[in-house]
Amino acid sequence: MFSLLLTMSVNTQADDNQEQLLNHIKELEQRIIELETTTVLSDPETRVKQIEVFVDANGIEHDTQVPGSKRRITYQRERVYRRQTINEKISEAMEDASNRNVQLGVDAAIIIQNVQQHRGDNKTADGNFYQLASTDLYFTAGLAQYTLFFADIVGLSGTPPNNEIDGLTLANGYAARLVQQNDLSLREAWLMTELWDQKISLVVGRLDLTNYFDANAAANDETSQFLSDALVNNPALGLSENGAGMAVLYDPKKSFSFRMGYQQSTSTASNLSDALFLLLEAGYQLNPFHLGEGNYRIWYREDNTGSGTNAVGVSIDQKLTAGITFFARYGSAENAASSNREKHYSTGLQFAGGLGFNPEDTLGIGYAYTNPVSVEKEKLLEAYYNLAMTEKLHLTFNLTYLQEQRASASTDAYVIPGMRLQASF
Amino acid sequence: MKHRKNPLMMINPFIAFVFILLLFPVTSLADKEIKITDPASVVVIVNRDSNDIAFMDIETHKIIGSVFLGKNVNPHMAMMSKDGRWVVTGGTRSNKAYIIDVATLTLKKEIAVGFAPEHLAFSPDGRYYYQGNPDDDSVSVIDMVSMTEIKRIPGFAEPLNITFTPDGSKAYVGNYGAHWVGVIDVSRHELLKKIYVGEVPEIASLDPERYLGDIKGISNVSISNDGRYLYAADGDLGIVSVIDSREDKVIKQIRVGADPWRAYMSHHGNYAVVANNGDATISIIDLKKNEVVATLESGPDIMGINFAAGKAFVVSSSSGFLYVYDMTSLTAAGRIKIGKNLQIETATTDTAGEKLYLASSTDHSVYIIDGKTEAVTRVANVGLYPWGTHILDSKDNYCH
Repeated sequence: MFSLLLTMSVNTQADDNQEQLLNHIKELEQRIIELETTTVLSDPETRVKQIEVFVDANGIEHDTQVPGSKRRITYQRERVYRRQTINEKISEAMEDASNRNVQLGVDAAIIIQNVQQHRGDNKTADGNFYQLASTDLYFTAGLAQYTLFFADIVGLSGTPPNNEIDGLTLANGYAARLVQQNDLSLREAWLMTELWDQKISLVVGRLDLTNYFDANAAANDETSQFLSDALVNNPALGLSENGAGMAVLYDPKKSFSFRMGYQQSTSTASNLSDALFLLLEAGYQLNPFHLGEGNYRIWYREDNTGSGTNAVGVSIDQKLTAGITFFARYGSAENAASSNREKHYSTGLQFAGGLGFNPEDTLGIGYAYTNPVSVEKEKLLEAYYNLAMTEKLHLTFNLTYLQEQRASASTDAYVIPGMRLQASF
Repeated sequence: MKHRKNPLMMINPFIAFVFILLLFPVTSLADKEIKITDPASVVVIVNRDSNDIAFMDIETHKIIGSVFLGKNVNPHMAMMSKDGRWVVTGGTRSNKAYIIDVATLTLKKEIAVGFAPEHLAFSPDGRYYYQGNPDDDSVSVIDMVSMTEIKRIPGFAEPLNITFTPDGSKAYVGNYGAHWVGVIDVSRHELLKKIYVGEVPEIASLDPERYLGDIKGISNVSISNDGRYLYAADGDLGIVSVIDSREDKVIKQIRVGADPWRAYMSHHGNYAVVANNGDATISIIDLKKNEVVATLESGPDIMGINFAAGKAFVVSSSSGFLYVYDMTSLTAAGRIKIGKNLQIETATTDTAGEKLYLASSTDHSVYIIDGKTEAVTRVANVGLYPWGTHILDSKDNYCH
């Protein structure tokens, strides 16, 4: 009886084994197909590695330190058993080729604005439409370790409302780039290198120092935030044109940062001493009451233009909640023509998250006040909604209320609806 | 002619079988030297290109030994069982799971699993080891008693990390190829439900390149210290969805930075830090309020975040820096340069929460970082292309 049960058990087990074996063969066949179709059936992979060795007085190389040896960095081929898929190989080769090439970026925008005057003597701007098209071409190339070349060539064409409004600041911040209609101009061309464990960045060339000074997270970019120059820059900074210069940025990636720089701000200079601006800025980041991060900056400017020799300003952006950022700027500049100082301040809020079209939308509202000399004043209120249509294409609607008070002239007020279509890729 | 019986045939086969069974463990143990007596005293190092798992003594920083898995295996992640008896790993290029005996540093078992196994987890009772097979869209269930694959659960979309609830009843799977979290019923080893983490905005139809291209879904589901809530970051949607584990329901969506990789839970359980690789920032989420309380600049290609000495250490892979953040003031606190031309990978933290053990693949080293003093010690030649590290009971055991 026992042997019968044993025989039956052995037979059943044999059947099971056979089935398992067949399943196993089937699985192996499937794997071979997958391997052959997706895997490089290659030799061991070889690659060159940077290695650390120790060379003694006799020139003998050791893997570990021996008495009298010196540490040296050298390169050596290494062979490993790493199997890569065809996709991985292709991606690696493409990434490698891309890193060696000059990177090109494009930022193009079309801005349409309409001016409706509702107060003051009738100006030619009333009822007119304005359109400006701008294209920036960015070139970036890595030249050496931690060293980068950057150039920005801009082409600008069209009519901003600034000339017919005659405002104290630019109603369309893009117009600050307009040097010559329909011409390509070199806005920036600089070399940047990082030193001292990359704590210090040194930038030399043709610069726009407003990229490094008086920054603000919520009001610093006419391509994506406010369109008015009074809300994007601080007029007290005094920089009207890009020019030759240098910036030194100390950023230990802690709360504190410090930067200094100089830049020439005129296109008619005959030597580097003409219209030279020197700027210093200290920045501090903190998180008061765990509201969110806040950036607090204070800057000082000196220049030799003769129209005023110094200015001081602050720029603040503080998150109130994860989606709401408060911002404020203040600037005070010396004016050679008056005993009073020029004053400028601006403030506002930025809301992230939009109105439900796309969570990447932003909207903002800001107020700016500019008082360059005693009686002249400009008050500006702007609201915008930036609709992120795609990652590369944004459509912004903005509405500006502008009030200009000039000496020996009426106080004019305008409503300026506008639209900006911006593509960057 | 009378056949003479072989004396061996006279022995009852059953008795012989029992005898062999009893003899086997004695002889096998006698053959193998015990190399590790305390599994908590070692750092497990995954060496992708030398195809081995190395074991480093935490005190002496010496490599005790390594277990070679086979050519072209390319292990991805390793984890030690709760009792410290086994280390398991998945061989991405061999399509196998490996079980290593920690005491003797020997390869105990190779088990065929799905295609390209990467991330894995043990059930809290140590009975099962779940191995995710992202290229096979499946999760293999390995029974640690029989050491066999008892089931392969299909129906996922590039499953990456697996998170068990503390009671072991459910496991949550991050699907990088989709925008849902898979819930596995552990008692039946079945995909129970799919939790939809968030809406793709309507306007996305204008951007097919972004949403139909290389999908960046959910890499990991991070669990709160009390096991109640789960935090799933979705790369394409730019959100962290908070899931209530009692109801398996999304109770809140938190907008973070661009292309969030995953949330890392601080040891005290008060914050989650999210690595946003799209804009090289981190978002710090207050877990009581489920709100972002700081978004701070970080470095490129964040591979992991560790916590030690009241700070968060963010591994920026391609820059060779660890970015440091003060977890009290929630502000940046500097960065530690590990080296030039290095690719640093992932790190684990010791159980005391004092030191980090960081794998640095391109110079075949592990760097030990003192969380308090930020002093760095290099242990060279740990194996080829160390890809990850692991310490038993560490709160920062994770993979890419």
